[in-house]
Amino acid sequence: MTEEALYHEALVRLGRAAHGAGRLALADAEATADNPLCGDRATFRVRLREGRIEAVAHQVRGCILCLASASLVGRAAQGATPGEVAEARSRAAALLLEGKPAPAGAWADLALFQPVGGVPNRHACVLLPFDAIAEALQRAQAPR
Amino acid sequence: MTRDLLARLRSDVAAKRPVVLATVLATGEGRLIHPFDDSGASDPLLAEARQAAGRDQSGVVETPAGEVFLRVFNPPVRLVIVGAVHVAQALAPMARLAGYDVLVVDPRRSFATEERFPGIPLSHEWPDEAMARLGLDRRAAVVTMSHDSKIDDPALAAALRSQAFYVGALGSKKTQAARRERLRQMGFGDADLSRIHGPVGLPLGAVSTGEIATAILSELVGCLRRPVGAAGASA
Repeated sequence: MTEEALYHEALVRLGRAAHGAGRLALADAEATADNPLCGDRATFRVRLREGRIEAVAHQVRGCILCLASASLVGRAAQGATPGEVAEARSRAAALLLEGKPAPAGAWADLALFQPVGGVPNRHACVLLPFDAIAEALQRAQAPR
Repeated sequence: MTRDLLARLRSDVAAKRPVVLATVLATGEGRLIHPFDDSGASDPLLAEARQAAGRDQSGVVETPAGEVFLRVFNPPVRLVIVGAVHVAQALAPMARLAGYDVLVVDPRRSFATEERFPGIPLSHEWPDEAMARLGLDRRAAVVTMSHDSKIDDPALAAALRSQAFYVGALGSKKTQAARRERLRQMGFGDADLSRIHGPVGLPLGAVSTGEIATAILSELVGCLRRPVGAAGASA
């Protein structure tokens, strides 16, 4: 796998677009996930309204794969239900591990990560933002 | 020295603020000069105090009012090691023995562990965040050695924006060239880039991690102690 194939232009563009990057006033919950092997770190904040994600924001330090994944999550999770985000994580894992196709619709850009499938030690870079938002959503829905 | 003066001196030392105690030898009268603050700007001995603090060397100066002893109280030199790698495992305790405040920063938690760095202060922040929190001054040194540009580059950028007296970057000549190009893209110019010691350390032909750490620490000491202009000479 060459670097050019892994960090292809559309993926780099998605990462640089940084959809959803920033902080969120009045978040219901936040969560941080990090990768102890490479140092990547993603913090997600979410606000729920009537069972849907009304607002999502993230602050990420990491490689371009992690940034691109966070950018996709920051865009596609907007308006989604927590269940849809969990489903998207399953689809991302299936795409990386088993070469399954990306879903249609809001998460179609998961297809951009297809080359990462051949590089097992980078799968975590893509999945880290999903883990962070999953934890944030769980906390947001926890009874207080 | 009055009790009040001692209290102020102790509070400056506790705050790690560089301060010079100026004592008129004939009378024993003392005052504090902050050589790098605005508050010290009006003192007639500012230039001498600044020089003494810069060299970290106390001494007597002649003035029209007689001899004055300038006693330097500098905060400890702080060394920020970015990347909890093998060379860092040697460099951190060596720098501590030299009397420096050492911090090893690595967001990779599996590298920066107590087992690998017993007794050494560790941070899992990203290095630029750690440096912003610490506030690097002219008594600070930064050496990057994570071997990952996504960690080293922001650390070097933060170091170059600070007054750190020593900035070193581990890596081959080829790595250094690519790094310089990336830092240029971030807006740094030749004057900034010339502050980076890279390849890092004195040219000792060091091979083992302990030897590489020796070369780095030696270069750092030279930059700290040798008069300006002589620091680049071979040792």
